Amino acid sequence: MKAPTRGDADGSGLVSHGPWAILGKLLIAAGFVVVAMPLLWVLLGSFKTGAQLNDPTVLTFTPTLENWNTVVSSGILTAAGRSVIVGVITVTLSVLVGSMGAYSISRYKTGGSATRFGILAAQVLPPAVLVFPFLALAYDFQLNDTLAAVIAAHLSFVLPVVCWFLIGFFDAVPIALEEQAMIDGLGRFAAFRKVVIPQVAPGVGAAAIFGFVLSWNDLFYALILAPGNSATLPVRIAGFNTFRGVELGAMCAAILVSVVPVLTATFFVQRRLVRGISGGAVKF
Amino acid sequence: MASVALRNVVKRFGKTEVVQNLDLNLNDGEITVLVGPSGCGKTTTLRMIAGLEAVTDGTITIGDIDVTTREPKDRDVAMVFQNYALYPHLSVLENITFPLLARGGQKPQAQRQAKEVAEILGITGLLGRKPGALSGGQQQRVAIGRAIVRNPRVFLFDEPLSNLDAKLRVDMRTEILRLQRQFGTTALYVTHDQEEAMTLSDTMVVMREGKIVQQGKPSELYSRPVDTFVAGFIGSPQMNLLHGTVVDGLFTSEAGFTTPLKNAPTGSLTLGIRPEDVVVGAEGSHQQAKIEIVELLGPRAILSLELPSGRMTAVVDAVDMLGLTEGQVVPVSVRKENLHLFSAESGQRIPTE
Amino acid sequence: MSFRIRLLLPLLALFVVAVGYPLAFSFYISLTNYKITNRFDVKFSGLDRYADALHDSAYWSALTVTFTFVLIAVFLELALGLCIALALQRQKRVRDFTRSFLLSPMFITPIAVGLMFRFLLNQQLGVIPTLLSRFGISYDFFGPGRAFFSIVLIDVWQWTPFMVLLLLAGLESLPRQPFEAARIDGASTFYTFRRVTLPMLSSVLVVAILIRGLDALKVFEYVYAITRGGPGTETQTIQYYVYNTGITFFRLASASAMAYGLLAVVMFLVILLFRRVERARRS
Repeated sequence: MKAPTRGDADGSGLVSHGPWAILGKLLIAAGFVVVAMPLLWVLLGSFKTGAQLNDPTVLTFTPTLENWNTVVSSGILTAAGRSVIVGVITVTLSVLVGSMGAYSISRYKTGGSATRFGILAAQVLPPAVLVFPFLALAYDFQLNDTLAAVIAAHLSFVLPVVCWFLIGFFDAVPIALEEQAMIDGLGRFAAFRKVVIPQVAPGVGAAAIFGFVLSWNDLFYALILAPGNSATLPVRIAGFNTFRGVELGAMCAAILVSVVPVLTATFFVQRRLVRGISGGAVKF
Repeated sequence: MASVALRNVVKRFGKTEVVQNLDLNLNDGEITVLVGPSGCGKTTTLRMIAGLEAVTDGTITIGDIDVTTREPKDRDVAMVFQNYALYPHLSVLENITFPLLARGGQKPQAQRQAKEVAEILGITGLLGRKPGALSGGQQQRVAIGRAIVRNPRVFLFDEPLSNLDAKLRVDMRTEILRLQRQFGTTALYVTHDQEEAMTLSDTMVVMREGKIVQQGKPSELYSRPVDTFVAGFIGSPQMNLLHGTVVDGLFTSEAGFTTPLKNAPTGSLTLGIRPEDVVVGAEGSHQQAKIEIVELLGPRAILSLELPSGRMTAVVDAVDMLGLTEGQVVPVSVRKENLHLFSAESGQRIPTE
Repeated sequence: MSFRIRLLLPLLALFVVAVGYPLAFSFYISLTNYKITNRFDVKFSGLDRYADALHDSAYWSALTVTFTFVLIAVFLELALGLCIALALQRQKRVRDFTRSFLLSPMFITPIAVGLMFRFLLNQQLGVIPTLLSRFGISYDFFGPGRAFFSIVLIDVWQWTPFMVLLLLAGLESLPRQPFEAARIDGASTFYTFRRVTLPMLSSVLVVAILIRGLDALKVFEYVYAITRGGPGTETQTIQYYVYNTGITFFRLASASAMAYGLLAVVMFLVILLFRRVERARRS
């Protein structure tokens, strides 16, 4: 096998030539095709008429906007807006409350391994277990089919995940930083706010985005707790679940409404996500 | 066992030339030490010989074989890293047998060889432990063991002692020297510590900004440094480099120190005087200086002498320290035999014979 | 009250409200004959619902289907994910775009993915069966005996990127120098992978399998979008069966009991795994 030659500045120990590397490149190319194809199909489908969609052999067609009109007028954007509201509130609460608690658990070992295990356990709960109490409670408080019920339910799985990440990040901040701050005259909470928070901020950003995506994508809780007037985006998309040609095109458009914002967000955030995860949360 | 030759080797990272047109020979069976300040290109050179860094231009030969485009594993070299680079999940025994097994060796044979090496290095009792349970010095021995066990043609040492504490460093230095003599393998040792370089090298190579400034026997570099950089770099405490002018056989430095100087060209030059060649307290000396600071080092003392507009360092044997204290004003002179003359503009040595 | 307790209190409160109380209430429901249509006439019935579940063959079938699904899907995602993560790690050019693009499926709402594949793989309307028929292959993706694997494939499409993310993060957190040492020591690429990369990655692998496995147990959207549990009960996963029981048939008490059964199994596995990891870490 040849060493990297002429002009390759490679000291990382990873070979970028040779048979394995070629295999790797093929794999990535294949990955591109596999990921792109369904998305491309959806993209094209959103511009096709019902008749064109019924025939999978059609290759060229004149695009139409009728699906997009249908979708937009069906209130999909309102549903998307509701998803945003739910996501933002859930994540904000989780980060605010979670960061304080995670700091306590990380620095002061509050509750010992029981709290850490408890948080792990909470992540593990099947939604099937929790959804019915939420439903029952929602009825009791006249909150059925409202966003409040959905937010409460989303907290049950976003909060533990965000906490788990945050504990990992706080673990990674050297304690010497806070000690220095306290010697310099800051109180405990001020040291926490001014010294520790900036250190974990990029990781918190990654965790927040992760949590938001979890909430944005949830169908199960939203379907059961807010199936009608307060439908979030995934519930609306599920509503396009029929076989009629017209609905198919509209469904494609609806899917894109859900997919495009998330994809653009993750494009900008991908690097931070990898760094944030490797920085804190992948340690068990 | 083989000699190593680098010819016209260049290493460029983007636009920056980190190693410039290097010609270097590692003599068979010798330790060559590459020494220089951070960023001078010594580690890059070492890594190019190892094959971890690609060569931008030029050739590298080990023995008679051109290895310039070969993978590290095809070059028959072994390397000891600064941070030991041990496999954290493997035991000491597994770490040492790794290179043998990786090349298709049989386990019983490999373990036997590993145990022999462990014996030589005095780490037999540690064979079952993982690197995490070892001290720095022990880890370094394991790293050396891993390098020795293959009996390669070239040893490469990348600042292996930098992470150890001072006393351990001195002990390990002797150990490494002993091992190299025992095995007789060609070795390249990179360090930024000039003391290490002096004690370890058969041939010493001083590098600066990607180029070789001077190479030769350590005694040569010490007694006849080729320019002010080498003069100032080698020797601790640092050589006194005084800028001044020579008029009528008398050298007057800007700092205010004067000394008669024969065979020196008239005009400005830089005078180099090693601290041990500065004589303090001798009669008949017409120069006076106040002792600013005394640093006692057991067998010697370093004196910082205050000159009219500068400073000078002197090293005095402890026996001669009687009566010398901080604040005292003492007569100062220099040993004429060991004066170094350098051009004031280029810093190059001016030959006096 | 000490500083650390004060910091923890809001989190604890939220946990109780969002997790603790529902968990307890769910247990209570499972011990009654609670029906959403009959909320105020609740009679305590002890462990009857649990007994019912144990005798319900559909319940056991759902559990089997789900666990088989998790085993196959997670294994595939791990293997594929590792290969892709390794390939991505070496890539130098167009790095960010490639990574964002390949990671994208995990961020799409699963119901959308389910519907996408429903029509992509549909016998009459789908592009893929049409392409396959050009090569003479006729494969009904959602027919009996096949629907299960199609659901697995959809899960693999969506969640392999998640594995890639975790594994990539793990790979990039490994120290560089042992790998350089391996290059010099003479290890081939495969040998290095087997003896150096994989062992050093082991704790990350455990976490990845745990997280993805627990997540895969909740599979619901693909079934809801495409097969509705069929053909027969071939793709009736536990989450779907519980949903049906509770929402379609209004039998919240039975549904809660079934869910708790699942929870018991999951907790058992998690504790087992946790103990093993703790033991490994201590040695």
